[in-house]
Amino acid sequence: MKRTIAISLLAAGMTLGGAAMAEAVVGQPAPAFSGTDSTGKPVSLSQFKGKYVVMEWVNPECPFVKKHYDGGNMPGVQKYAAGKGVVWLAVSTSADGDRAAKATAVGDWLKAKGAAPTATIMDTGGAIGRAYGARTTPHMYLIDPSGKLVYAGAIDSKPTANPADIKTATNYVVQAIDDSLAGKPLAQAVTKPYGCSVKYG
Amino acid sequence: MNARTTVTISRSPFSLRACLNAVALLALACALLLPARWAQAAASAVTGHARAELLVHAPQGVTAGAEVWLGLRLQHQPGWHTYWRNAGDSGLPTTLAWTLPPGFEAGEIAWPTPKQLPLGPLMNYGYEGELLLPVRLRMPADFKGGPLPVKLRADWLICEEACLPEFAELDTVLTAAPVSTHAALFARAQAALPVTPPGIQATARIDANALVIEVSGLPASYRGKPLQLFPENGGVIDHPAPLAQQWQGDGLVLRAPLSAQRSDSPARMDAVITADHAAPGIRIGFAMAGPWPLSGANPAPAPAPAGATQAAPDASDPSWLPVLAFAFLGGALLNLMPCVFPVLSLKVLGFAQHGGERRRIVAGGFAYTAGVIASFLLLAGLLLLLRASGEGLGWGFQLQSPPFVAALALLFTLIGLNLAGLFEFRSLLPSSLASARARNPVADDFLTGVLAVAIASPCTAPFMGAALGAALSWPAPQALSVFAALGAGMAAPYLAASLFPAVARALPRPGPWMVRFKTFMAFPMFATVVWLLWVLGQQAGIDAVAGLLGLLLAAAFGLWLLAAPARSALGRWLGIGAACLVFGATAAWSWPALRQAPAAVAATSDARWQAWSPQAVQEARQAGRPVFVDFTAAWCVTCQYNKRTTLADPGLLRDFQARNVVLLRADWTRRDPVITQALSELGRSGVPVYALYRSGAAQPQLLSELPSVDEVQQALGAP
Repeated sequence: MKRTIAISLLAAGMTLGGAAMAEAVVGQPAPAFSGTDSTGKPVSLSQFKGKYVVMEWVNPECPFVKKHYDGGNMPGVQKYAAGKGVVWLAVSTSADGDRAAKATAVGDWLKAKGAAPTATIMDTGGAIGRAYGARTTPHMYLIDPSGKLVYAGAIDSKPTANPADIKTATNYVVQAIDDSLAGKPLAQAVTKPYGCSVKYG
Repeated sequence: MNARTTVTISRSPFSLRACLNAVALLALACALLLPARWAQAAASAVTGHARAELLVHAPQGVTAGAEVWLGLRLQHQPGWHTYWRNAGDSGLPTTLAWTLPPGFEAGEIAWPTPKQLPLGPLMNYGYEGELLLPVRLRMPADFKGGPLPVKLRADWLICEEACLPEFAELDTVLTAAPVSTHAALFARAQAALPVTPPGIQATARIDANALVIEVSGLPASYRGKPLQLFPENGGVIDHPAPLAQQWQGDGLVLRAPLSAQRSDSPARMDAVITADHAAPGIRIGFAMAGPWPLSGANPAPAPAPAGATQAAPDASDPSWLPVLAFAFLGGALLNLMPCVFPVLSLKVLGFAQHGGERRRIVAGGFAYTAGVIASFLLLAGLLLLLRASGEGLGWGFQLQSPPFVAALALLFTLIGLNLAGLFEFRSLLPSSLASARARNPVADDFLTGVLAVAIASPCTAPFMGAALGAALSWPAPQALSVFAALGAGMAAPYLAASLFPAVARALPRPGPWMVRFKTFMAFPMFATVVWLLWVLGQQAGIDAVAGLLGLLLAAAFGLWLLAAPARSALGRWLGIGAACLVFGATAAWSWPALRQAPAAVAATSDARWQAWSPQAVQEARQAGRPVFVDFTAAWCVTCQYNKRTTLADPGLLRDFQARNVVLLRADWTRRDPVITQALSELGRSGVPVYALYRSGAAQPQLLSELPSVDEVQQALGAP
């Protein structure tokens, strides 16, 4: 009978281990996902295990997204991240519809803006957006090499559509990457995102 | 018109009045020698999707001591909206930047009561149509009147599906004479301003990942109406989540789920409540009692103000004591469950063998009781802790993990094989451990209590999941007391038998029949295994079931090998090696199947029922159809009973069809954060839950956990 106690304690331990479940809460494992990118290739979060991953919700028609692309701010942050070995996934969430045309449009626009994401995921139907609780474009997330969500929120500290505010704002994504790579606790782990609503349709 | 305004922008239609105004402006500009650029601004502007106008309301004239209001009037194009001070999930509040002469100051915007603007799964707060944002003007005490130039730069985000930032630079010049041209607009804005009637009091606390606000002193007209909550701080609650509301006497208890990505932990909050979306709303302020749960959010910047106390367990709470009593009773009943009864019945029969050792028996009884209660508290404490850290778990969470279900099935098979006599644990234990057991019989009893809880857990969750889930949403001390009562109830028969020799004497005398009884008890154990296999099949499919059966076979074979008497040490080791090899190989083979994702759509075999999702509910409601949601799980026996009785009733199904009800089934057999979230929004943390959304009603009606056909039909027929 005592042997069974050991087994039941083991089972209880398994519950503990298994309790870390997928839900976009900072400090917990980031929801796993797989989708296709704007060129039709499959992309999943698991293929980037072992690396920091930034997720950026993007919509070329949103003035807040334009604010950060027209002056080159977002592409700059993407290059900064790439230089530190950080994977960058741009995510375009949209209702069901003409996926192919949308993919081309988003892909071409990002290229024209000099953006350099590792991949641009077409979240048609919005499953990834819902799993992460993405509310705005832009809405930014940072996932650590163990797959844990470490940052969720705004791109920077000035919630306006005015490009002039970028200079004086704190870029939360750069800050989160720097703090993480330095092994420091994040100065801001969750902020309120600002921007247009994600077009769940 | 004493506030001479300028209307000379290119987009405004040319008119006589514009001409006159232009003349007036020229005269004024000359008189004041104002810079020429003033002439280019105006008191109104047409931007892409709105018309903006700077208005003045000064019925007593513009002098010190008089009440002077400025205001930005926005006339939105149809379908377009701008935002409240908390824009909700997206959007930005409108901002006003004033340029005034030294000594003058414009106050904060007196925000009119906003409207909810749902957009897909998101929620915004704002305004459509005609809007006036009034601002009080403060003047130096010695101001005697005179031309007063006022400039405003207004920025707003205006959205339909698309969003556009727009702005206007407006100006006007005030003179001392009274102006009340737009008295009606200012009066309407004033009437839409949230009010705080005397006697309103609000307190708030965090409970199970929700902001719980208790408000007293609300007007009677708020009763029975669907209420909306607009927090002024946008970083705390989950804006689109349904607001649970409950009246307790004169008080209202609102329960708003916290945002999974909460970005703020304020010590105080302000919010506006509306009834049926009607303006003016009621503005309440409250301090947060107790600490914020630790989550990804920044720690609370300031501790809760002194005097704010944690909502203490209140023994006078009408529902608490009965729940304790029922928990005790339920615990006692657990002893009769097929998974627990065999083990404990044998334990109790053991008394008869101990005969005269009274002290040993009494000590053992208490040790067992302590073991049971401690295990329940540990399990409940663990669950509370996980929930506080943001895990979407409910009671029964243990059974949502296929590997855990498999481990339980293995455990029950082992106990069953032991009862059936395939092997004796004694023959497997190293002699040192066996003698340790003999030396510490009391510790042994404590561990038996722990084991009893472990094997009882698959029985507590299915039968008492919903009740225990509800208890978990109480403050921690109260919740834990319920679990302690459950444990006390479970241990009570055993404790009674050890305390009162009469009880033990009433037990049958030991004899050869005990061996038969023990073997017989193996069958309920195996029956439990059959049920667990079915649950696993629902969760992970037929491959997982085959994998688990293989694992059980390997375990039985391994035990048989180990229990066989070995003639030499070599033979013994060979036996152990072979047993480990067989078991390890089978485990490796079956593990992927157990870990596998569930079969895409689990068990929606019934064409009448569709899989639940928040979108499905929303779409059906947008189409004007009522919705009935069955929150269920394969491991929940109450759910399965209801599914086969009430919910399968032909009359009720006809009724559903006649009323064009959309039937949705949310299967919580596996962990599902979306369902967990939906349950917590409904104020529950376990299944079964039956929710009926009548067309037109803002809030769903929750039915009982064992609904009768009558109850469902009455709910359907209610107005």
